[in-house]
Amino acid sequence: MTETDLVAISPLIFVIALAMLIIVADIIWPDRDDISTGLTVAGLLVGAGLTVLVAQSEAREIFAGAYVVDPLTSFLDVLFLAIALVTVLVAPDYLRPRGLPMAEFTATLLFAISGAMLISGSRDLLVLFLGLELLVLPGYMLAGYAKRDGYSTEGAIKYFLLGSFSSAIFLFGLALTWGFTGTTRIREVAASLAQLDTASALAPALLMGLALLTTGVAFKIAAVPFHYWTPDAYQGSPTPVTGYLSVGPKVAAFALILRLFVEALAPIKADWTPVVIVLAAITMTLGNLVALTQDNVKRMLAYSSIAHTGYIMVGLAAYAGAPVGSEAERAGLEGLLFYSVAYAFMNLGAFAIVSALQHRRGVTSQIETFAGLGRRAPWAAILMTLFLLSLTGIPPTAGFFAKAYVVLAAVQAGGWVSVLAVIAVLNAAAAAFYYLRVVVFMFMRDPPETARPVLTGTMMRAGLAITAVMTIFIGLVPPVTSGVIEFARVAAEVLLVRTAGG
Amino acid sequence: MTNLPILTLITFVPLAGALLIAFLPRGRPDLARWAALITSLVSFVLSLLLLPAFEVGAPGFQFKEQADWIPAFGIQYKLGIDGISLALVVLTTTLSWISILASFGPIKDRVKEYMISFLILEVGMIGVFVALDTFLFYIFFEIVLVPMYLIIGIWGGANRIYATLKFVLYTLIGSLLMLVAILATAFSFQALNGGNWAGAFDYEQLRGFGFDPGFQAFAFLAFALAFAIKVPMFPFHTWLPDAHVEAPTAGSVILAGVLLKLGGYGFIRYAVPLFPDAAVTFAPAIIVLSLIAIIYGAIVALVQPDLKKLVAYSSVSHMGFVTLGIFVFQQQGLEGAVLQMVNHGVITGALFLCVGVIYERTHDRTIARMGGLAAPVPVYAALLGFFMLASLGLPGLSGFVGEFLVVLGTFDVMPGAAFVAMLVVVLSAAYLMWMFQRVVFGELSDFLRGIGHHLTDVTPVELLTLTPLVALTLLLGVFPGLILELLHGPVNDVIAAVSGGTVIAR
Repeated sequence: MTETDLVAISPLIFVIALAMLIIVADIIWPDRDDISTGLTVAGLLVGAGLTVLVAQSEAREIFAGAYVVDPLTSFLDVLFLAIALVTVLVAPDYLRPRGLPMAEFTATLLFAISGAMLISGSRDLLVLFLGLELLVLPGYMLAGYAKRDGYSTEGAIKYFLLGSFSSAIFLFGLALTWGFTGTTRIREVAASLAQLDTASALAPALLMGLALLTTGVAFKIAAVPFHYWTPDAYQGSPTPVTGYLSVGPKVAAFALILRLFVEALAPIKADWTPVVIVLAAITMTLGNLVALTQDNVKRMLAYSSIAHTGYIMVGLAAYAGAPVGSEAERAGLEGLLFYSVAYAFMNLGAFAIVSALQHRRGVTSQIETFAGLGRRAPWAAILMTLFLLSLTGIPPTAGFFAKAYVVLAAVQAGGWVSVLAVIAVLNAAAAAFYYLRVVVFMFMRDPPETARPVLTGTMMRAGLAITAVMTIFIGLVPPVTSGVIEFARVAAEVLLVRTAGG
Repeated sequence: MTNLPILTLITFVPLAGALLIAFLPRGRPDLARWAALITSLVSFVLSLLLLPAFEVGAPGFQFKEQADWIPAFGIQYKLGIDGISLALVVLTTTLSWISILASFGPIKDRVKEYMISFLILEVGMIGVFVALDTFLFYIFFEIVLVPMYLIIGIWGGANRIYATLKFVLYTLIGSLLMLVAILATAFSFQALNGGNWAGAFDYEQLRGFGFDPGFQAFAFLAFALAFAIKVPMFPFHTWLPDAHVEAPTAGSVILAGVLLKLGGYGFIRYAVPLFPDAAVTFAPAIIVLSLIAIIYGAIVALVQPDLKKLVAYSSVSHMGFVTLGIFVFQQQGLEGAVLQMVNHGVITGALFLCVGVIYERTHDRTIARMGGLAAPVPVYAALLGFFMLASLGLPGLSGFVGEFLVVLGTFDVMPGAAFVAMLVVVLSAAYLMWMFQRVVFGELSDFLRGIGHHLTDVTPVELLTLTPLVALTLLLGVFPGLILELLHGPVNDVIAAVSGGTVIAR
C-alpha cells in the first residue's frame, strides 16, 4: 500500500468518513435533521468532485491489483453519488411528516453507496463480494425504515431473506470459480479461463459455478424469474427508499456484472450468452405484462423497473452475442451504461413525484391519488408526464435515446440478439399503456373532492430539478447526449481492452 | 435563395409560441387563443414565402439546412424540401391556423394547455415533412403522438380515453418497429461503408444505396407497417373511427387533414425509395389491401348513423386511393396520390369543420335526428353541399382530379384494379348524397325544431375557417397543374428508384 493508492481510492474513503461523521454529528446534535442533510448534500458534491479529480484515463491498479481506478470506475462512482444526492434531496418531504429521522437514513444510504463504489472498481472476487454485501445490508435496513409500518417490515424481511439467500448462492458460485481457477484475482481468472479449450464442454465444477453466479446476480438485478422479492419490497418501503432501491442496487448489480461476467468470465461468454438472451426476453415481457394490471403506482413502477432491467440486459446480450472483438461488443456495453444513466434519473424522478404527493401522511400511492393532478398541481403533473414519457421511450427524452441505443447495439450484434430488439420495442409499446394510464388520471380525470394542495419543500424541488433537467438534457441537448455517449464509450473501451488482453 | 434558415423557422415558430403561451396568465384564455393564432399565422406566411422562392423542376432538395447532431453516429439535423414536401408543408400550415381559429368557440376549458398542445403538434407535423435525416424524421413522427393523445384524451367526447389509448398504442407499435428498421438501416449502411457512421442516417445517402434484398424485405415491412397504421390501410384502420368520433372538431381536422398524410408521405419518401426491391415485391399485396380499403370504407360509410363516423370511414376509402396510386409505380398514379393527399386534407378537413358547426348547435351528430337544414341555415347547407360534392369527386372540384389520375395510372398498369376502384365512385355518391339528403332536405326534424333559435347559421368566424378551403377546392379543381408541376421531378425520382427492379405487369 502506498500513499498514491490512498489518493486513488479517496472518494470511497471520503464517503465512508462522511457517513461516520453524520452519525457523530447526530449524537452531538440530536433532532437536528438539517445538519445531517446539509452535511450529506455538501459531502456528496465534494465526493463527486473528488471522483472527477482522481479519475484516470488509463486503468490504475492499486492494493496489489485488488482494486482498479479506470474510466468505468469513475463513470459509475459519479452515477452512484448522483443517485444518492437525488435520494437525499427527495427524502425529507416524505420522512419528516412520518417522524422518521434523516440522520440514520443518510448514514445508512451512504454506507450502501460506498458498497456500490467498492463494486465499481473491484478487481478481486472477494472484494466484489464484500462490496455486494456492503451494498445490500444497508438496503435491507432502508426497506424496513418505517418500522411501525407492517408493510415496510414485511417488504424488508422478504428482501432480506431472498437477498441473503441469493448472496449465499452467489458466494458459492465464487467459491467454485476460485476452486477451478485457483485464484480470486479477476485478471488471473480471465487468463486461466482463456486457456480452456472453448470447443469442448466446460468442466462440471465451472459450469456449476457459472450457474450459481448467474442465479445470484439475476436475483440482485431482479431478472425474471428471480424477481419475486421486488414488488413487495418496493411497495412496502418508504417511497424515497423505493426510488433508491429501484436504481442504486440495480445499477450496482450491473456494475458487478461488468466486472465479473464481462471481465472475468469473458473467455467463456459463449456459455452464458444464451441464458442472458432468454432472461432479457422474459424479464422485459413479464415485467411489462404484470405492470399492466397494477392499480398502485409504486407497485406499477416496481414491475416496470423489472422491465427496464430487461432493456438494460439487452445491452448485455448485445455484448455477449456479438463476435469477439467486433464493434457490436462495445456498442452493447455502451448501451448498458447509457441506459443505466438515463434510467437512474427518469426513475428517480418518477418516484420523487410519488414521494411529493405522499408528503401528507396517509396519502397512498394508489392511482386515484393522481386524479386531477393536472389541475391541483400542474408542475408536478407536467414533470411526472415527462418522466413517464421518458420511461416509455418517447423522443426527445433521455429514455428514448437509451432505448434507441440498446436496440441499435442489439441490431448490430445480429443473430438471436436482433430478435431481442424487436421484443424490446414491442414491450415499449405495451408499456406505453400503463405509463399513459397515469397521465390519463392526471389530466383527464377530475380531482376528488377531498384533495388538498400538494406541498413541496425546497430540497424536493432541487431533486426534481436535477432529475428533470437530466431527463431533458440527455435527450435534447446534443453536447450532453454526446458527452454521456463519449463517457460511456471510454468506460466500455477500458473493459474491452482488458478483456482482449486476457 | 437567402441564408435565412427558413425551414427551421417554419418548424419551430409554433414551439416558440407554445413556450410563450406557457407563461401567459392562466385567467386570460383569450390571450392564449390569439397568441396561438398569430404564431400559426406567422408559420403559415413563412411557408407561403417558400412558394415563389422554390425552383420548380430543380433536382434534389431545396432550402437545405445541415448541422451535426450526434456525430458519433452520424446523426444530423438536416432539413430540406422537394415538391412533395412543399405541398404538404403548406397544407399543414394552412390547416393548422384554420383549426386553431375553429377552436376559439368550442374549446372553453383549459385553453392554454390546448393551444400549447396544438402548437407542439404543428411542430411535429411540419418537422416530419422537412426532415432529411431518418433519426430526426422518427423523432418528429413520434412527437406528433403526444399532443394528439392529449387533445383527444382531454378535450374529446365521452369515450375519449379508450379512443386515445387505442390511437397511441396502434401508432406506437408500428413506429417502434420502424425505429428498429431505421437503426438497422443505419447499421447496415455503416457496415458496408467500412464501419464509418457518417451519413448512416442521411436520407440522401441512404436513398439509392441498394441494400441487400433480404434486408430490404424486413426493413420495408417495418416501415410499411408504421405507415399503414397511420394512413390507415385496411386492416389497420380500426383506431381511426374511434379517434375521430371522440376527438374535438379541430383534432379531427388535423387528424384527417395532416396526420393520415404522414403515412402516405412516409411511403413515398422512405419506404419505397429506400427499399425499392422489397417495394416491388410487396406491391401486389398492398394494391389488394388498398382496393379492399377503397370499397370497404365506402360500404361501411354507407351504413353509419353518425356524421363524424361517416366522414371517418370515407377517409379510409379516400386514402386507399393514395396507397393504390403510390404502389402502381406510374407517373400519373403517383402524382395523383400526392394530389389526392392534399385534396383529401382540404376537403375532409372542411367536412369535419362542417360537422363541428352543427354539433356546436345541437350537441348531436346522429344523421337520423337531422333533417330539413336547408330552410333554417341555408349558407351552412350550401357549404356542406359544396364539400359533399367535392368529396364524391365532382369534376371541376379538386376531389375529382386526384382520384381520376390514380385510376388513370392504375388502368395503365393493371386495368382490373382500376375497374374495381372505379366502382367506388358509385358508392361514394351513394353514401354522401344519401347523407346530404337526410340532413338537409325535407321537413325540419322534431329534434332540430326543439333546438329552436339556437339553430343559427354559420358565424363569421366559422365562415372565415371554411372560405379558404372553398377557395382551395375550386382552385385545385380547376388548376391542378399548380401542384402537379411541383411533383414531376420528385415522382420521377421515385419511379427511377423502383424501375431498378422489375415493374409489375408490364
